[in-house]
Amino acid sequence: MIKYIAQLGAGGISFCQRLGVSGIFLFRVICRRPRVLRLTPLLCEQIYVVGVLSLLIVVISALFIGMVLGLQGYNVLEKFGSTQELGQLVALSVTRELGPVITALLFAGRAGSALTAEIGLMQTTEQIASMEMMAVDPLWRIIAPRFWAGFISLPVLTVIFMLVSVWGSYLIGVDWLGIDPGQFLSNMQAAVDFRIDILNGVIKSIVFGFVIIWIAVYHGYYTVPTAEGIGRATTKTVVYASLAVLGLDFILTAVMLGGW
Amino acid sequence: MAQEESFIEISHLKFCREERVIFDDINLTIPKGKVIAIMGPSGSGKTTLLQLLSAQLRPTAGSVLIDGISMHDLSRKELYRARRNMGMLFQNGALFTSLSVFENVAFALREHTKLSEEMIRDTVLMQLEAVGLRGARNLMPSQLSGGMARRVALARALVLNPQLMLYDEPFTGQDPITMGVLVHLIKRLNDILGLTSIIVSHDVIETAAIADVVYIVANGRIAGRGTPEQMFASESPWIKQFVHGLPDGIIPFHYPAATYQEDLEL
Ligand SMILES: Nc1ncnc2c1ncn2[C@@H]1O[C@H](COP(=O)(O)OP(=O)(O)OP(=O)(O)O)[C@@H](O)[C@H]1O
Ligand SMILES: [Mg+2]
Repeated sequence: MIKYIAQLGAGGISFCQRLGVSGIFLFRVICRRPRVLRLTPLLCEQIYVVGVLSLLIVVISALFIGMVLGLQGYNVLEKFGSTQELGQLVALSVTRELGPVITALLFAGRAGSALTAEIGLMQTTEQIASMEMMAVDPLWRIIAPRFWAGFISLPVLTVIFMLVSVWGSYLIGVDWLGIDPGQFLSNMQAAVDFRIDILNGVIKSIVFGFVIIWIAVYHGYYTVPTAEGIGRATTKTVVYASLAVLGLDFILTAVMLGGW
Repeated sequence: MAQEESFIEISHLKFCREERVIFDDINLTIPKGKVIAIMGPSGSGKTTLLQLLSAQLRPTAGSVLIDGISMHDLSRKELYRARRNMGMLFQNGALFTSLSVFENVAFALREHTKLSEEMIRDTVLMQLEAVGLRGARNLMPSQLSGGMARRVALARALVLNPQLMLYDEPFTGQDPITMGVLVHLIKRLNDILGLTSIIVSHDVIETAAIADVVYIVANGRIAGRGTPEQMFASESPWIKQFVHGLPDGIIPFHYPAATYQEDLEL
């Protein structure tokens, strides 16, 4: 029994320690004199790698999710004779919940794991150590551009996800199942509020982006420098980032529905 | 040896890695402008010693003074400033895999200087010419052989004209011709630019040809020190065994273990 409690305590301590280390790490990445001119080309490159390359999976998933929502929603709404409300149903679920959460999960799987593996490999092959020996701070040169690129990319991807999935449901609802396009769109427009629905969704995605990218670069930078270590770090990134997204989503939703 | 101006002073250095003592009370002084060879059996901690010197690792006890500056008491900023005068050739090259050979060598120039593109180009090509890889400038590190990668890394480490060069196994994996060129390159740099070089190497003959002083590291201590001639003539069993490559002697060939019989359960 005592042993069990001791184990729990040790786990708690090591968790707090890791949290502290990653906090200091984050602080050192973010809080530095901005060198915008030097950072911009690096940032553009990373936005391409982190953001643009994630675009395809986000667009395709959004399209299918929109279409499935359209089909399912239509079937349910038909029982109440209110199929013209389909636009509202899809738009609200996508902007409030599905958009930010699913994009964040996809982003963690696609970009987060790739970042961890890339940085972990740099650590393993001593590229980071050799950069330090050349008196170049790897946190500035390697981590910061990736961090900001992820931070910028996820909200943009989320907005794209929202648009595409609404379009997907439009394809199903209007073009296939024959809802009147005017009703579909005007009902949607009347129901969706910019501040309450869209802005809150984007705020969620900003928070998710910050947390995912933090987890990804931290695990990459502190990889155990072996092939196995990289594998483990990548898995951890995906698991922790996904759990963090879902947990934070609950908290943010509670705050937004309650307080705002 | 006569008292010369010492450039690096290591005193009472102790380093442990999880219980295991890698170094115990190492004392070294290295004069300016000389070529120092550090030899020792595999796993004796030569790479670790270089990492301690360049403050990539923190010693358990003791201090390292380079040019009068205590390396382990510096702030991050000061440490980076001190490292601008240092070059290190990593044991496996450690080239940036996302950059071409040219960009690898140009990296430090782009980060630390405001040279024009033309100047950078000329400097990089000069460095690559010295290691015989000017023609490989557009290749990616993944397209290089191990020996080529190490030569690119050498060019990269030298590009900022450091005062102190740390070479971790520069000759491993090089053919005899390249090896000869590299040996002379290292020696020439030392003579012309007046830099201090520390070479870690297993290649006793080649290294001895250019070294002014040889240190032999074994069992966490400095087992011997002297000029190459003294080393070859030495009667000390440690040194004799290592320099002449005798399989058994005081320096164990085996990593510490239970006896063979015990392990095989005889
Ligand atoms: N990251 C590490 N974690 C734990 N122990 C390590 C680590 N790196 C090295 N060691 C241990 O430290 C000792 C010294 O290693 P080091 O790499 O300095 O040897 P070396 O003299 O450079 O050997 P070689 O000539 O084979 O390169 C080795 O016995 C090794 O087991
Ligand atoms: Mg080594």
